[in-house]
Amino acid sequence: MSDKNRCVVTGLGLICALGDNVGECWENAVNGISGIRDVTVINTDGCYAKKGAVNDTENSDLSEENYDRSSLLCIKAAGEALEDAKISLGSERDIGVIIGNCVGGAASIDSYYRAVKEQGEENVSKEEILKMPASAIANNVSAHYGLKGLTANIVNACAAGTISLSYACDLIRSGEAEIFLAGGSDAFTSLAFAGFHALHALDEHPCSPFNRSSGITLGEGAGILVIESYEHAVQRGARIYCEILGSGVSSDAHHITAPRPDGQGQMSAIKRAVASSGLQPGDIDYINAHGTGTAKNDEAEFLSLHRIFDCSDKLSVSSTKSMTGHCLGAAGSIEAVFTVKALEKGIIPPTVGYTVEDKAILEEKAGKIDFVPNTSRKKELSYAMSNSFAFGGNNASIIFAKNHREIPQENSNSPVYITGLGIVSSSADSADGVDSVKASLTADDYKAHDIKMAFYRKLDRFSQLQLVSGVKALADAEFKADESNENDIGIIIGTSDGPMTEIVNFQKNVIDHGTNGGSAFSFPNTVYNAAGGYFSIFAGIKGYNVTVANGAQSGLQSVCYAHGVISGKEESVMVAAGTDENTDVTEYLYGRYGVRTDDLPYSGGKGFVLGEGSVSIVLESGEYADKHNSKKYAEIVSCGMAHSPKEYSDRRVDGDTVKRAITDACKKAGLFLEQIGFISGFGCGIKEIDDGELEVYRELFGVNKSVLSVKAATGDARAASAAMALAQAAKVLHGDSDIVGKWYQITETGARESEAAAGEYALAVSYGAGGSCSAVIIKKV
Amino acid sequence: MSEKEISEKIKAMLVENLRIPEDALENDSELFGDDIGLDSIDSIEIIAGIDTLFGVQMTGVAKEHFQSIDTLTAYVKEHMENQ
Repeated sequence: MSDKNRCVVTGLGLICALGDNVGECWENAVNGISGIRDVTVINTDGCYAKKGAVNDTENSDLSEENYDRSSLLCIKAAGEALEDAKISLGSERDIGVIIGNCVGGAASIDSYYRAVKEQGEENVSKEEILKMPASAIANNVSAHYGLKGLTANIVNACAAGTISLSYACDLIRSGEAEIFLAGGSDAFTSLAFAGFHALHALDEHPCSPFNRSSGITLGEGAGILVIESYEHAVQRGARIYCEILGSGVSSDAHHITAPRPDGQGQMSAIKRAVASSGLQPGDIDYINAHGTGTAKNDEAEFLSLHRIFDCSDKLSVSSTKSMTGHCLGAAGSIEAVFTVKALEKGIIPPTVGYTVEDKAILEEKAGKIDFVPNTSRKKELSYAMSNSFAFGGNNASIIFAKNHREIPQENSNSPVYITGLGIVSSSADSADGVDSVKASLTADDYKAHDIKMAFYRKLDRFSQLQLVSGVKALADAEFKADESNENDIGIIIGTSDGPMTEIVNFQKNVIDHGTNGGSAFSFPNTVYNAAGGYFSIFAGIKGYNVTVANGAQSGLQSVCYAHGVISGKEESVMVAAGTDENTDVTEYLYGRYGVRTDDLPYSGGKGFVLGEGSVSIVLESGEYADKHNSKKYAEIVSCGMAHSPKEYSDRRVDGDTVKRAITDACKKAGLFLEQIGFISGFGCGIKEIDDGELEVYRELFGVNKSVLSVKAATGDARAASAAMALAQAAKVLHGDSDIVGKWYQITETGARESEAAAGEYALAVSYGAGGSCSAVIIKKV
Repeated sequence: MSEKEISEKIKAMLVENLRIPEDALENDSELFGDDIGLDSIDSIEIIAGIDTLFGVQMTGVAKEHFQSIDTLTAYVKEHMENQ
């Protein structure tokens, strides 16, 4: 087997309550020194719990930019990782950035609305709005270091920091990229504190995983790994810490906050990771557990570990959260850094907090598993695993190996087909003078798909849009999950702004009523992956489940991601979606920022008609589609992704990035540009964006090329529009008559409305704030 | 405060805080059954809501008092009067 399949770790960066760098954090961890203290960075008046694990470094000492603290922590850790990997940065480097995150810019949402309340809106800069979405984080890191590799934010709450590593490895193994900064980041926020406080999930004392298990202690930090292909590392003479073998991602399909008590979903992720690494459970020497310290997690994880690893005589398990606190989206990556260090040094950091009595109880229930209580353990390690489990029922496991080991090669050349579409969309057909449009979602929509009020009332707008489009798509594809196929299907959701409404409303409530005034009801919906969680619960989907936040193009990046999951044989069926909501909150934010106008695409305007929606696209492997005689809208022949470092506030389209994404897709498909029948584009109404887009098409395809604009018919529904562009292009190739969108033809200076086009191949393109572009080529079946 | 006033306030709180459609909610609707389908997270929200509205603590109170708006109203009425 070629070395191309090998992913290695060559650099580490870490910041958390234990220190400002890997050295400090590692030394404290192996000495069992906890970073948990009384919290001073947020007001805990009236709260029953006051503990937290906060890093003392001020924002201005992390990095000079005016970014949210999540981005600043990440920039700091990324800098250390780059230095550790001995990567000297030129003006621009082909390094990707994949960052896991949970609460996004919640600290900035808190400070914005607090400042507006206290000082009046006119005294608060509108630029603060750009600090709010999680979409900004990876792009800020990329902009800071001038990196032009593939970029994404993985926003799967507490599993995000592990999934980001897994995704980076998948992209390297599939040949999409050579090197990544991958990890996770989250700042200490009133959102998370008030939320877990409302759920009574905080421990009054420092958390004690696998011990008293009476709640979590929140932390903050960032952990970054430089992950590269073995060939790339050897070529540049890099020091190699270890290899990353396989990983596993799964869904519980059970409950929005609680894990399955039977541990089934967790075990599925662990088993997937072990199998994809070509190992047996008995080979694993050490597991850095999720070990949050809540009774529900610890009981389920205890059960999972015993079920799978009781065959082993040598397994050690520890939870470093007992010292770092639970760093949410950063947790998996911080723990990955500790796991890599454990392999390197042959030392296992402990789980702290056991009294003599606690240790006696532990001995009774631990069986053969060594939980490394209080003091670190010296032990030669060959294989180590890190586990992360999240709200929404998302589970992820990843395995690190000290030495090289061949892993089973899983790559399929089978075609991938679009076999189902589910669309919920706003309509801008009568948008003259209208700057905001909303999708219609009524009780009848839920009734049509047998979604009971008891279920859908819990969902926020974002989750409701996703649920309805998801079930519509599954119905269209005639897919029904049951015991025979529930593990063969996964979900990738792309979003620009996620559940911003629920987050802002939760935060305003905390500002008005104090940290002890958080809503237990709405908190579970404030994580970006709640929509995917609810969808998996309702539809019984137990496979891969990831949410990506990376600007408006996320709805097409999700298709690229899902295509890769099928090609990597991780699943046979994927639902790829783009979803963004429009409410009074988004209307306010886009209005305040000054881009909500009544301008339609290619009209030379200053803004766009703010829309909303969710578009879910079912993808099936050729093998699966043929076996089930599935309806085929079109074949996905190739996907191209590109990125360029630019400020999140910069609205101009980077033409070179769009060109790279399109030509990459064409190259992979073995197509000449002239074979593309038409383009389904992303122009929104803002002149700089529309002109930049058309300029690229003009250069690549010449004038007269036909462009389908879905946004001209629906308004700019951000990620939903990106997925919609592909969905409508597929419908055109399929010969459907009910196409949503307007047709344009490229002219020397702009674009003019034209007749409908057709062709053998179509190209869907989308570009997002922060500088990422995705392109998907589909073929008539 | 009359029983009617209490139950109206509780109903408004359930509609507002738990997104229950108003027309689906009767005073005797079984809150934690199949009709409305509340769960443990919702009960935390109800406890917080009752505390805010009436200053009545319901943490650790037996399940049967959470059955419906009627039972919640009776509990609140009794404990407000005792204060």
